[in-house]
Amino acid sequence: MIWIGDVLVSQGEGGVYNERILGGARVWDPHRSKMSALYHVGTGVELTPGMRVLYLGAANGTTVSHVADYVEVVYAVEFAPRPMQDLLEVSRRRRNVIPIMADGARPEQYAPLVESVDLLYQDVAQPEQAGIALRNCPFLKTGGILVLMLKTRSVDVRKAPAEVFQDTLDALTSAGLIVQESVWLAPYHHDHAAIVCKKPVL
Amino acid sequence: MQSYWFGDVSDGLCKLFIGDSNALIDRVRSISSSMDSFIPLEWEQAVLCGACCGRIDYLARLQAVCIAAAERSIREQYSGKDAELLQMVRTLDEIDTVINLLSERAAEWYLVRHPAFSRKYRRTPAHVLVKTMSEKSKGALGRVAGEIEQLAETRTILAKEVSARANDVMPNTSALIGGLVAARLLSHAGGLLLLSRLPASAIQVLGARTALFAHLKTRSPCPKHGIIFQHRRVHNAPREVRGKVARVLAGKLAIAVRLDYFRGVADPDFLDAAQERIDAVGKRSEP
Repeated sequence: MIWIGDVLVSQGEGGVYNERILGGARVWDPHRSKMSALYHVGTGVELTPGMRVLYLGAANGTTVSHVADYVEVVYAVEFAPRPMQDLLEVSRRRRNVIPIMADGARPEQYAPLVESVDLLYQDVAQPEQAGIALRNCPFLKTGGILVLMLKTRSVDVRKAPAEVFQDTLDALTSAGLIVQESVWLAPYHHDHAAIVCKKPVL
Repeated sequence: MQSYWFGDVSDGLCKLFIGDSNALIDRVRSISSSMDSFIPLEWEQAVLCGACCGRIDYLARLQAVCIAAAERSIREQYSGKDAELLQMVRTLDEIDTVINLLSERAAEWYLVRHPAFSRKYRRTPAHVLVKTMSEKSKGALGRVAGEIEQLAETRTILAKEVSARANDVMPNTSALIGGLVAARLLSHAGGLLLLSRLPASAIQVLGARTALFAHLKTRSPCPKHGIIFQHRRVHNAPREVRGKVARVLAGKLAIAVRLDYFRGVADPDFLDAAQERIDAVGKRSEP
């Protein structure tokens, strides 16, 4: 990852969302992007130029554009039409963003479009977030990394965030994934946690 | 056999998909693969297939068709008659908020200029006060009051348009609860399809989110009604049967919305029976 002092940046064409430019690089704001927040509060996963990424819940393409600056290709899955309009604009400007309008909970819809990936990144506002991640694991190479941005409030508002967090960790572990890191994204994002898992080599 | 966007692969042999760009877009939008027997796509197969001539070409072609497919999906979702109604009713509610906020602020300003003025013991409706302010005030305050009046005019026109559009898009629901309230239900659910999938109990408390979650979290009583309270049948009903009216009305609304979604025309038989049933509940406790 590229740091200028304590500011995380990415190298690419700027002006996607009026982001600040520092020394010719795009500032990746941890308050706007959970991925960036993960690098600030924890270790995260080193993005490398050869990486292929499946990104579930691409939304307006803000974080997608930064990830795309680092890796070879991003398959960006988004379901809602409104953010998809913005994501398409990002895709038209970046050769390595493939926008897919589909539901992340139904991978069979986009399986014929997506290759095996090194990184599965998920940031969806759905109740069943662990289940969606597991359903998409067939796309992950062995030894590949899953980054799950857990929105605890989307899972169940009645449960304490810590409880939802533990339940999700248990679900991922019992499915055979190895949890490498699990951190809360405070102070950047409240009630959000990041879970980094590795798909074990069988 | 595995189907990929560029063609079908079986036993190492690849059959290239033949068709123009439109057919390819349709294929990308309709294709699906079972995840049980799923074999991940390998882009080299596309080269063997003759679909592309290298990695960069592969990604460029895939991106182009994915963008086109997504554009078409967006256009389809926006072409529904409910998509525009949704924006119309949300704009209407937003204008209301803006008018209220601005009127309050302008009135405070006006009071400072006229220390002897008070609204106490006067039944001056807000819009009359705004009119007075726009006529009697000089400078920016007068202009602000004038803008509020203009905005109120726009609001009236928009409200009529929302009603008319709701009658067209949701004829049965609008007949039961009025175009404006029907449109607000639509706005809260996010669309006609989503509203038609809601159970009656959810329609009943749509718009009472805070009260509903307070009820689920603590022991506060559950809300009896949400947006449907805005309809005269509910807010004019005697207190003790109000919950009942809301429940029966919501039940009939759930049916009406489904009629609207699947048929799209008014069903007089259903409407008559429903109106009668709802009125009966409202009257039951009266002597």
